[in-house]
Amino acid sequence: MEVFVIYIRIESSSAVPIYRQIADQIKYQIALGTLRVKQKMPSVRELAHQLAVNQNTILKVYNQLCQEKILQVDRGTGTFVAVGQQTIPISQRRQIVTKILGEAAVQAIHLGVEIREVHDLLDREYQSIKQQQLRSKQDE
Amino acid sequence: MSEWAIEIENLHFSYGRNEILRGVNMKVPVGSIFGFLGRNGAGKTTTIKTLLGLLTPSAGSCRVLGIYPAVDPLAVRSKIGYMAEDQQMYGWMKVQEIIRWVGSFYPSWDDKLIAGLLDLLELPREGKVKTLSKGQNSRLALLLSLGHHPRLVILDDPTLGLDPIARKEFLRYVIGLLQRDGVTVFFSSHLLYEIEPVADRVAILDHGQIVKSASTDELRESVRRFIIPKSDFNADHLTGLLDLTRDSDSASLTVENCDEKKRAQIVQLAGQPIHEQGLNLDEIFEAYVIGNRGVEKKIHFHNGHVYGEEQAHA
Repeated sequence: MEVFVIYIRIESSSAVPIYRQIADQIKYQIALGTLRVKQKMPSVRELAHQLAVNQNTILKVYNQLCQEKILQVDRGTGTFVAVGQQTIPISQRRQIVTKILGEAAVQAIHLGVEIREVHDLLDREYQSIKQQQLRSKQDE
Repeated sequence: MSEWAIEIENLHFSYGRNEILRGVNMKVPVGSIFGFLGRNGAGKTTTIKTLLGLLTPSAGSCRVLGIYPAVDPLAVRSKIGYMAEDQQMYGWMKVQEIIRWVGSFYPSWDDKLIAGLLDLLELPREGKVKTLSKGQNSRLALLLSLGHHPRLVILDDPTLGLDPIARKEFLRYVIGLLQRDGVTVFFSSHLLYEIEPVADRVAILDHGQIVKSASTDELRESVRRFIIPKSDFNADHLTGLLDLTRDSDSASLTVENCDEKKRAQIVQLAGQPIHEQGLNLDEIFEAYVIGNRGVEKKIHFHNGHVYGEEQAHA
């Protein structure tokens, strides 16, 4: 059986709860394509051991990501990266993105980065992640 | 069996006139990893000694695995594992000698389990205790607390003095060896960031009383700080205020159990948009133990030296 290591970093001085830090990083890696569709996730115990984090925290992360249809459980065989699009309602998806963009807007205003430039930067980031996603799909 | 591994009710303890515990109330669910937090001198070790039956409370009671330690301390000690703060072990003994010696006190000592743990924890059987590193020393103390299959393990500041790598390694063993088997872990520490990844629940002890007990996530999410661009308001009606610091033209409010209703109250108080922040665990700890609950004070005294000398152990 293939054992792999997920690269997750826990920031202990962050104001973000640990389960959200882990969930966000898994989402990010799926978006980037470093975690691929149908890929098997480490078991709750393995990931808890790797990160030195309470098993219930990992369980909570997996449950939440399953609810969001980002991961799926195959009875008996384990937890996998789900196939297909997530089915979170569009309003909720917008809400999540708006919150993060709000933080980015505050930073941009403080640092004196013009709105046009912010648009360009966002475009560039979006495209580069999409391209990486494409590349890792072609590698399969 | 009860759903609580530890139940503490209105526990008081004094050394002479010095009142250390002033009505501690706490319940530790079976199978949980429970973080017991407090600054040095808050009463953590005194509470633990009472749980072990080493000290008799002046009032109140505690039950450990359903047994009153004040009545039957030996029954409690035979059922639980205990790792003392900065545990001293006979330096002249070899690792396997100290294991045999400690094992002789327990009828249910499991040599096979111990043999496996020795390998897992990478301890040298023939090494003398005094030659062990700090990390090995704490692993040996952990091993000695597990040989009789305890259902509850009490760890009193077990990672004190360990470097960050040894500390993480130790926490891994706590999760892998104990949580996996459903053993209840009662873990004291003065480092919140250390407790957070491993604890299901935490209780904060301050000046001999529990000032907060909650699940780790709940604690994180319910304590919020608001920055208000004015300072002349009255916050007396606000419940759950942990800290209020006023400046000449702004103020910061830290509140617990924050919900939409409380948020609305604060917005109303400010009369304008406010800035809301989540806090990291050290800041939450700080708010509970040294928060300035509405008493007028112009200067913020949270200057990063909150733990004073305790920081040296970090």
